[in-house]
Amino acid sequence: MNRNKLLPSLVCGFGAAVLTTVPGVKNFACCLIVPVAAVISISLDHKINRSEFPIKAKQAILFGIMTGVFAALFSTFFDALTTYLVHTNDFIEALPQTEDFIKQYKLDYLLNQTMTIFNQMASDIRANGFSAFYSFGILMSNLFVDIIFGMIGGLAGMSFFNKHTTKI
Amino acid sequence: MNRLLIRLILFIALFVWCVGFSYNSLFPNSAYTIIASPFLKKLYGTVCHQHIEKTFLFNKHYFYVCARCTGIYSGALVVSFISIFSLPRLPEKMTLLYFSAIPMLIDVLSTTTGIYSYSKIIALLTGIFFGSTAFAYILAAIENNFADKSL
Repeated sequence: MNRNKLLPSLVCGFGAAVLTTVPGVKNFACCLIVPVAAVISISLDHKINRSEFPIKAKQAILFGIMTGVFAALFSTFFDALTTYLVHTNDFIEALPQTEDFIKQYKLDYLLNQTMTIFNQMASDIRANGFSAFYSFGILMSNLFVDIIFGMIGGLAGMSFFNKHTTKI
Repeated sequence: MNRLLIRLILFIALFVWCVGFSYNSLFPNSAYTIIASPFLKKLYGTVCHQHIEKTFLFNKHYFYVCARCTGIYSGALVVSFISIFSLPRLPEKMTLLYFSAIPMLIDVLSTTTGIYSYSKIIALLTGIFFGSTAFAYILAAIENNFADKSL
């Protein structure tokens, strides 16, 4: 994939990441933001690179994956930036509640270790505004979800554009 | 790839996804639930606003996705299960997909503009309608490109 091929995914992934961080937008779009971004990236690719129709499934999925990857990277960056600025986040705020619940149970070694990691992440964020482990976890979860939804969007876009080729 | 295999994979993936967002409610007394909670909340937060007032409460725990998303994924899960046994051929045009999105859009616009107040049941039902139709179209798109044509 050359640079011109990456550009639509980059732009749409960035747009999707911005929209997911804007309060209120999720109320309307929920899980549709990344799939719609993947559809738009296919459309942009056609306009920029004059790609030919019909769009192949492999190409559509690739656009979906790339849009998902960029959306995940930018979302994680925005999340890390916000956390860095305010030195707190949802995870930190929910941690005392989690600890209260945890005290009700007899924890085995694995769960004890998990709580130790949670506390380490929380203290890193409170002290420095950043925890590498937390950011990595968020990146992985964002990549997982955004890639799946991006692929769905890519396939939906492929079906849509292949059926409306004459209108574009 | 075999059509049945594709449908089974999609059903299992959707089943895992649905168990994930209802994990807290399905296993309320497990310590693992509490440990997994922050990660699951963040994971599903990627695709849903997770407003408590728009989310179903079951077994004293809230789902990780709103009522509408619950409907979308549940609808998709039910159709994915049915598709293992049989699925009617969908029309070539996407009219049915657009039609299925209309009730959901009307509900979103009506609740946002204050024509009527938000109802979890309406959100769930419109979500189920859209989710089930959307899944059928996505399945058709996947099968048209990846399934063995002879099957």
